[in-house]
Amino acid sequence: MSKIKKDVKDVIVIAASFLAVTPIFGINRTTDFMIFCIFVLGFNLLYGYMGRLSFGHMLYLGLGAYTVTLFSEHVSKNPFFALLAGVIVGALIGVAIGPIIVRTTGACFALINLAFNQVGHFLALVAFSKWTGGEDGMSAYFTKMGFIDFGKKPVIFGFCMLSLLFTYFILKKLLSSPYGLLVKAIKENEVRVRFLGYNTFRYKWITFIISTTISAFAGALSILNYGYVTPSFIDPSRAVEVIFATLIGGAGSLYGALIGGVAYMAISNYLASYIPRWEMLLGFALLIIVFRFRRGMWGYLNDKFGRRVETL
Amino acid sequence: MLNTVAYGLTIGGILYIISIGLSLTFGTMRIVNFAHGLIYTIGAYLLLTSLSFFAESFIVGTVFAILAAIPISYIIERFIIRKLYGVSIDYAIIATYAVVLIGVDLIKWIWGASPKPLSDPIGIDVPLFSITIPMYRLLIIGLSIVIFLAVSIFFKKTMVGKIVVAALEDKDAVRSLGINVDKYFGYVFTMGSCLAALGGVLYAPITSVHPYMGMMVLLVSFAVVLVGGLGNLKGTFASAFILGLVIAITGRFWGPAAETMVFVIMGIVLIFKPIEV
Repeated sequence: MSKIKKDVKDVIVIAASFLAVTPIFGINRTTDFMIFCIFVLGFNLLYGYMGRLSFGHMLYLGLGAYTVTLFSEHVSKNPFFALLAGVIVGALIGVAIGPIIVRTTGACFALINLAFNQVGHFLALVAFSKWTGGEDGMSAYFTKMGFIDFGKKPVIFGFCMLSLLFTYFILKKLLSSPYGLLVKAIKENEVRVRFLGYNTFRYKWITFIISTTISAFAGALSILNYGYVTPSFIDPSRAVEVIFATLIGGAGSLYGALIGGVAYMAISNYLASYIPRWEMLLGFALLIIVFRFRRGMWGYLNDKFGRRVETL
Repeated sequence: MLNTVAYGLTIGGILYIISIGLSLTFGTMRIVNFAHGLIYTIGAYLLLTSLSFFAESFIVGTVFAILAAIPISYIIERFIIRKLYGVSIDYAIIATYAVVLIGVDLIKWIWGASPKPLSDPIGIDVPLFSITIPMYRLLIIGLSIVIFLAVSIFFKKTMVGKIVVAALEDKDAVRSLGINVDKYFGYVFTMGSCLAALGGVLYAPITSVHPYMGMMVLLVSFAVVLVGGLGNLKGTFASAFILGLVIAITGRFWGPAAETMVFVIMGIVLIFKPIEV
């Protein structure tokens, strides 16, 4: 009973927080924030929980975005089918390149992801520019499904809220299961997990697939929101955004990912337009986090207020 | 076709010069030093500044760029990398990337964001077999071979080189002999950074100089290091020239795909030769 109570509390806290910030940021931006939070959750599973830092996660986001757009263009204008296609393609890329990627750790892992992302960016920008529109990108149109019309802002806001809660709970259930425990153990010491008789390769692969799927889901959602895809969705130089968001919120915690996502989006949406040397500021902020503030905002709150926050 | 091969060997030579430092930091500390690409970019920009302010001499500019890389790399090594390794590899990667963000923005602030072209410093073409090759490219190929020999001798004959080679094999064993490994890594790190700056200087006249030029080169040299083997200097030499040829030949048939092909080859190599790092 208390477990269900806790879940209900989570729903209320997350939904209420996003509804509370809507008047400040506006409904468009808040939708954007929620989509970004889904992306951060997907990245955080890989980095925060399994300890694998990817520098090429934009590939999976961009793949979802391009799949949805191309699906709506060539196959069907049904938004739900398009979304499903995006998620499936996100999973498939994880299945396909996962075995190559998850064998490595540390710097190799980061850079192989980056290399794949570079290839994907090239394919979207140059090689397949006849279909993807190259530099200019292309727009996506969706039909109305009964009373659900994704052209209306409150509808997409509500749908993204539900998607965020759905992703949150899937991850929460996964991470509190034995599988989640194993993933965290792999982060701590993979060799010992293997000693216990577990096939760590399989678990790493599955985690990678879940992460790419969630990222593609976020990319697909952002096309429902914007209705337009450009190569910036798959641009490897934007990988630092999600890393920064994860770090600022606190890696290895679901609430941390949500806080980090909102904080990063708020900073980049507002501060970036006032500060001309925005990249430099981001660089110094990253250095400060790495040297002084390693556990992020959520970790700091946890340290300061102890159990009171943890029981939220 | 011969022209393409010559171009490929030129690129391979430059890639090798850049990859030495990366291979060493990667082989010893398992850290990808993103700042390596930044020093490469800074090298190219310092050459530009030197050409327009101090003297019109390309050699003075080269020496200036290489010397300027020493204090910059010292600061990065001493205050960022040395403090972080042992703690967590991920943090070191993120921190060096942060250094790149700061550095690239500084470059944009000082020199502006638009690409700057640079002309061939020698400007003489040499007839070779049935084609003519710019003298400058032949010089680069020659220089990279000289550097390869010098680096080989350095690691075989000098004390510093021997210590680093030993530490690549077993760091703890070297440390237990009472040798301060970090100090020697610091020397080698600085040396690698100087070579990166030299690589930037050499590459600048072939393409244009722009703030983000280091990123792509870093990725390609990373591929060179992985294909050649971590901390394996001979392998790095061979793979640099092979991948240089790949870039040149792919570029001849389909320009934009040149660098992407390198990653495809890296992927294939990784499938057949898994690395457990």
